[in-house]
Amino acid sequence: MSHYAIEVQDLKKEFAIKKKNVSFWKRRKENKSFVAVNDISFNVNKGEIFGFLGPNGAGKTTTIKMISTLLRPTCGKILINGLDVQKNSMEILKNLGTVLAGERSIYWKLTGRENLKYFAAMNGITGKKAKEKIDYLLKRFSLDKRADETVEKYSTGMKQRIALAKALVADPPIVILDEPTSGLDPQSARNLREIILEFKEEGRTILLTTHYMEEADQLSDRIAIIDHGEIIALDTPKNLKRSLNKSNTITFELNRWNDVIEKELQQIKSIENINSYFDENNRKWEVKVQINNGNETINNLITTITNSNIKINNFKFEEPTLEDVFINLTGKSLRE
Amino acid sequence: MDTTYESIRVSSKANASPSILIAIVYIFKKELTQFLRYPSWFVSMLIWPVLFPFGYVFTAKALSGPASSGINTFSALTGTTDYVSYMIIGTTMWMWVNWMLWGFGSSLRREQVLGTLESNWLCPIPKTTLLFGYSFFQLLYSFVFMGISLIEFMLFYNFRFTGNPLLALLIIVASIPSIYGIGFIFASIIMWVKEANSMVFLVRGVITVFCGITYPLAILPNWMKGVSSFIPVTYSIRSLRAVISAGARIGDVRTDIMILLLFGVILMTLGILAFNYTQKKVKETGSLGHY
Ligand SMILES: Nc1ncnc2c1ncn2[C@@H]1O[C@H](COP(=O)(O)OP(=O)(O)OP(=O)(O)O)[C@@H](O)[C@H]1O
Ligand SMILES: [Mg+2]
Repeated sequence: MSHYAIEVQDLKKEFAIKKKNVSFWKRRKENKSFVAVNDISFNVNKGEIFGFLGPNGAGKTTTIKMISTLLRPTCGKILINGLDVQKNSMEILKNLGTVLAGERSIYWKLTGRENLKYFAAMNGITGKKAKEKIDYLLKRFSLDKRADETVEKYSTGMKQRIALAKALVADPPIVILDEPTSGLDPQSARNLREIILEFKEEGRTILLTTHYMEEADQLSDRIAIIDHGEIIALDTPKNLKRSLNKSNTITFELNRWNDVIEKELQQIKSIENINSYFDENNRKWEVKVQINNGNETINNLITTITNSNIKINNFKFEEPTLEDVFINLTGKSLRE
Repeated sequence: MDTTYESIRVSSKANASPSILIAIVYIFKKELTQFLRYPSWFVSMLIWPVLFPFGYVFTAKALSGPASSGINTFSALTGTTDYVSYMIIGTTMWMWVNWMLWGFGSSLRREQVLGTLESNWLCPIPKTTLLFGYSFFQLLYSFVFMGISLIEFMLFYNFRFTGNPLLALLIIVASIPSIYGIGFIFASIIMWVKEANSMVFLVRGVITVFCGITYPLAILPNWMKGVSSFIPVTYSIRSLRAVISAGARIGDVRTDIMILLLFGVILMTLGILAFNYTQKKVKETGSLGHY
């Protein structure tokens, strides 16, 4: 038995793109293809929350669909609890609780309870066992008071919760969530994140995708950053950010500034970049210094400034975020 | 020996595989519940049986000529003078096929667009179970529809059985596998072309023209008759007319029933094969959840 919940090896998905305006009679073989996921490999440990962070169109959903048997990979291998996804899809599905389209994955014309009953039966759970399970899930996700109203009357947050309850109905050891908090207000998103952390406490393995870096940072034990179908970094959030420590930004508020000091500072080896500007309104200088080798430089920097009789009014050290990690790796912002 | 697995895994024993029969019952119940939440359908169910044959029946009346001279021609071709029954049998079969096509086309397509099709695909059941679940709901719907039609025909068109109603029922039952076999093939195509309307019109059009919904096949050119003989609905309509209007006995329609059953076996098999093929294809293109 494998130690990993999910193992992905050299996974690739290439979609055929059919040209739309080719006439039926003159159909030629000029079909192009598009590589949505390009040779990615990663393992998800049992019991961890593994985050997939990437911008729109990066290939997150495509990867998740391949893992949950909805898409056939062009090549590569996926093992779930040591079982090959291609060969044992029924057995695999019993181990997975997947929420793909969030609120759209449930029937809006049915009540919350009817939805859960239906999906329980489709997972082989009926009768008393189903009833107990459903009552428990409805209560747990605070849906019990409105369980007998049709889902269309629910708020987005409630719809997301019933979709989560649906995924949990067969008590799967692995939960896969595609953008679980998209479209939620901050409070509902926070609630949902707490629920996800509870899943982990129960011993489930969670694979989730998101394009919110704060969410990935807060929830994930490890994060894979994906862009253009490729994993460009994979580590714990802490290590990812630490890897950037080479290039921190320090912002000073100074009473005085001139080229001589700037030249002097540039002598310090680990300083990469200096940006100064005079704030007319507050009559003070704002100087941004980018340094590339951690905290030793800071001492040097401050000594040089104070030795020139410049007064430091304020001082801000900016820790890198995952956003910075992404910018550093790709040269563009995650939100673009 | 891996001990972490047991300790981490939430439920120690895996769920048993879901029973296909129970899944079918639940799909049926789900469809029925959703259907009953739209009562407007019920109105169309009441109105259509009377309204739809109306145009044909009156066209026939107009064409029958003075002293019903046209009836003689009609009767020479069909063996009956009761053109009203003749037409409502044709139109009822047509309606059945029509509901079936819309049913499959719209329910699958709707679930594909809404996103629930993927949710079903994520359940550990063979996916053909979904088709059977839909079929049973459609079947219930069609039988209720035919029941309502029958009562209304008796009230409004003075419709009477000449032959044995149970034999008529037997023919309808024998038509089920063929009609739903066509439905399965149709459902598979819908998942490909992702467009239900034009496909419904196409299939329905073929049946209207080739199966003799309102006219005897004898008036068709030979090549068209050839096509007709490959469509099971032709045999359903022909034998139903023979039983209901001309009082045919089981011996008279035995061949037609056999042909219908044979079509049933072939079309059901083709339907399931087509659906399984589509299922594979859709996993490659990712069109399970596209909208
Ligand atoms: N069935 C398909 N056929 C063709 N191209 C597809 C298909 N599904 C996805 N793509 C393309 O593959 C790329 C990756 O899509 P995917 O949905 O995996 O991205 P994502 O990371 O989930 O993005 P988002 O944040 O927008 O959900 C996109 O460019 C998309 O247009
Ligand atoms: Mg996505």
